[in-house]
Amino acid sequence: MATSVREKQTVALKRMLNFNTPPLKNAAAEPVWKVLIYDRFGQDIISPLLSVKELRDMGITLHLLLHSDRDPIPDVPAIYFLMPTEENIDRICQDLRSQLYESYFLNFISAISRSKLEDIASAALAANAVCQVTKVFDQYLNFITLEDDMFILCHQNKELISYHAINRADIQDTDMEAIMDTIVDSLFCFFVTLGAVPIIRCPRGNAAEMVAVKLDKKLRENLRDARNSLFTGDSMTAGQFSFQRPLLVLADRNMDMATPLHHTWTYQALIHDVLDFHLNRVMMEEGAGTDPSQAGARPKKKTKKTYDLTAADTFWQKHKGSPFPEVAESVQEELDAYRAQEDEVKRLKSIMGLDGEDEGAISMLSDNTAKLTSAVSSLPELLEKKRLIDLHTNVATAVLDHIKSRKLDVYFEYEEKLMSKSTIDKSLLDVIGDPDAGTPEDKMRLFLIYYITAQQVPSETDLEQYRKALLNADCDLSPLNYIKQWKAFTKMASGPANYGNSGVKPMGLFSRVMNTGSQFVMEGVKNLVLKQHNLPVTRIVDNLMEMKSHPETDDYRYFDPKMLRGSESSIPRNKNPFQEAIVFVVGGGNYIEYQNLVDYAKSKPGRKVVYGCSELFNAAQFMKQLSQLGQK
Amino acid sequence: MTCRFVYSAAAAAPSDMAVDITLLFKASVKTVKTRNKAIGVNVDSAKDEIFKKSRPKSGFSLRAKEVITNITKLKDFLLQHRKDYVSAGSLISTDLSRMTDSERDQIDQDAQTFMRTCSEAIKQLRSEVEKQATSAQIKEHRVAVLDLIDMYLKGVCKLYSEQRAIRVKRMVDKKRLSRLAPEHPGKVEKTVVEEPAEEKVVKEESPEKNTSEVQDSSSNLWEEGRVEDELSPEEIQMFEQENLKLVSEMSNLVDEVRQIEGKVVEISRLQEIFAEKVLQQESDIDNIHQLVVGATENVKEGNEDIREAIKNNAGFRVWILFFLVMCSFSLLFLDWYDG
Repeated sequence: MATSVREKQTVALKRMLNFNTPPLKNAAAEPVWKVLIYDRFGQDIISPLLSVKELRDMGITLHLLLHSDRDPIPDVPAIYFLMPTEENIDRICQDLRSQLYESYFLNFISAISRSKLEDIASAALAANAVCQVTKVFDQYLNFITLEDDMFILCHQNKELISYHAINRADIQDTDMEAIMDTIVDSLFCFFVTLGAVPIIRCPRGNAAEMVAVKLDKKLRENLRDARNSLFTGDSMTAGQFSFQRPLLVLADRNMDMATPLHHTWTYQALIHDVLDFHLNRVMMEEGAGTDPSQAGARPKKKTKKTYDLTAADTFWQKHKGSPFPEVAESVQEELDAYRAQEDEVKRLKSIMGLDGEDEGAISMLSDNTAKLTSAVSSLPELLEKKRLIDLHTNVATAVLDHIKSRKLDVYFEYEEKLMSKSTIDKSLLDVIGDPDAGTPEDKMRLFLIYYITAQQVPSETDLEQYRKALLNADCDLSPLNYIKQWKAFTKMASGPANYGNSGVKPMGLFSRVMNTGSQFVMEGVKNLVLKQHNLPVTRIVDNLMEMKSHPETDDYRYFDPKMLRGSESSIPRNKNPFQEAIVFVVGGGNYIEYQNLVDYAKSKPGRKVVYGCSELFNAAQFMKQLSQLGQK
Repeated sequence: MTCRFVYSAAAAAPSDMAVDITLLFKASVKTVKTRNKAIGVNVDSAKDEIFKKSRPKSGFSLRAKEVITNITKLKDFLLQHRKDYVSAGSLISTDLSRMTDSERDQIDQDAQTFMRTCSEAIKQLRSEVEKQATSAQIKEHRVAVLDLIDMYLKGVCKLYSEQRAIRVKRMVDKKRLSRLAPEHPGKVEKTVVEEPAEEKVVKEESPEKNTSEVQDSSSNLWEEGRVEDELSPEEIQMFEQENLKLVSEMSNLVDEVRQIEGKVVEISRLQEIFAEKVLQQESDIDNIHQLVVGATENVKEGNEDIREAIKNNAGFRVWILFFLVMCSFSLLFLDWYDG
């Protein structure tokens, strides 16, 4: 994978927007204008990858939702990008009948069935518009890429394939089949875009296994069909094909339930946990008044602001995964650097003012004109930098407010200690009973993690005590029922997951002294230093990639779609360690695991790990699903 | 059956990850047609097979396309002559394709008038779009189309100005190299349109200085060597030295003038950029001004309302007091009346 998945998907989108011919490199090419029509799925796929300005540069004058009211715009070709569902097809037929545009380029996100194609054909015939339907394509882009090495399946109807949907007690076989089909379809599109056929490994006995079986079958069928195969050798370089096949590890959420509930300390994961963060876009309320004492005054109006955290934002790329105090310091540094540059530009102004009187200093003038030209040309860069610094300042301040009000650092420390089974100094009851620290949700999360990671189930009396304390703190106890069931089930299957050794060293007084200089006064917030530790998913990936033998992963099933005979053995034929891996978590994932995998890939040079999940949730959403499951 | 044939023809194009199923679609169209015929549905198949119904193109898109073709013609023209235009480098100039300066000036002028007409056309189209009462989407679309054409024109203009800058730079370098050819020290090449006034002043000064110095030297010599009609070798040498001095002075002046020219060109470019920015800010400032005016009005009204409220409050109090006093008087009166 010389180019990342995100680049491949962007290239595919750009080609589609260029009427499916490769875009020309010529800067001063004639503009051709077009209209882009998408449905909500298409919108989710395009929005993290291409900004509105980039669309404009490619000649898209209007971009509209499929199911909105659209006026006829004659003489303009229209590019459609949507899923082949019934209502979308109906709307296309309606458009053809009302003859909204001059020519139609239909691109379906995943493969369209023959019958639906015939529906469109009959509508086109009825409207005498067959010649206007210029091209029809199956794009195989049914997944959303958020980062260079992270993707999720969908954002729109994610309740259909959520953890709750898969693990419901009252689920029917047909429902399960439908869910599995959706997941397998998206994974298939992912591998088509990647252009590689992976080797699949999955654990036994859960949803991940079902997905693996279906995916293997689908890949096999496609490879067998030699005329129609999407993996022909022309599209890929030789090296990519033969020796460097990637490894697909299918994991199930049930293996590790504590990580989604964990309180976190890295920048991106914190934003996802604490603020409203979807598809690389943060939505915040600005201008919230902090003093509630003005009883008579009208509450200050809160304006909603949205920020896009994109790949072009170098600060974001560098500090996505750093611990929060580091981020605060870096923002301060960036601000200082920016101010220095600004002063430089202002200084030139004064020099230029002086020079008007000095006639003979032509050389100085030339020097300054050169400086002025460079300053003027660097002005847009400076403005961009300022905007980014403002953005990150606002976001980081909001996160810091949350941390302070909910005492998230205390929770984080405690949970790390729980998960690494090191000694705890405060008892759990104290933390739960503390009225200052955190919302009821935080306390529930802490208790669930304690329950999940405990070696033996706490006794009934202890449990009663905890229950009372939690009810005092207004917590909702239904997730606990579900977790009890889950724990019983996994205990039968295998031993509890080991979370590895980790250590958390608070830096206390020293950090407070150091931080007084920075704008973010983090008084009272401990400056915690993270030591490297591996979450269960990372450890599994490590074992599988290096072909280490480990009791956890030894009985994982092995699928190779390229082998002629579908063998059921779990003995891998390939003895070399893998260089590329794709980890897919069925049932949902989050940024903590992603960050852990990124750190792991960085520690082993030459390794590339791509993380994917069926949906992305933060702890609050996961708790909601658990409580729904626990109420049944 | 045609199906199988079509299915194989719909194989994936090797270079795309996407699958082109247009042929599959056309096959489905045929299938549906035959099905319709079999059922007996009325089908006018003749119409769109034989001749493509060409829908009437609106005036806007025709004109927009015209502007684009014009700009493309300009671009091709510039690119075609680019090599000749720029090839002023070599002094050993025996290139047959080399252009004369007048031809270059011609190209410059033509390009400028062309660009001006194109931008006029774009402005016209823009004002028309504003006036026309079409739906919001069509208007947005047309505005975006005009923006695209504008960007294209800017790109082509950049080509032109790059060429021009290269030409000016080459001229300056050439002048610097050919410094010791003093036959036409004051001659200015008609390369730069913006001729600074100083250059003209310097030009006028230099021939004057020239003549005055020559006059001085000649008068000096004339006074000294009045007797001899022929010039002695020392005098010849002195004359030569003076000549060289004059030549170097002249060329220095010309150099400085060249430099100033270049700087002024840069400054004018910068000024253009600044002017653009200032104009952008003007609209913002207008908005702010309006908002401020509105805010002051609102504040004034608020003050008025507060004053009214205070008055009403005061008036209300007076009436209450009066009422209470009247009540107490009436009570006293009744009491007196009774007793």
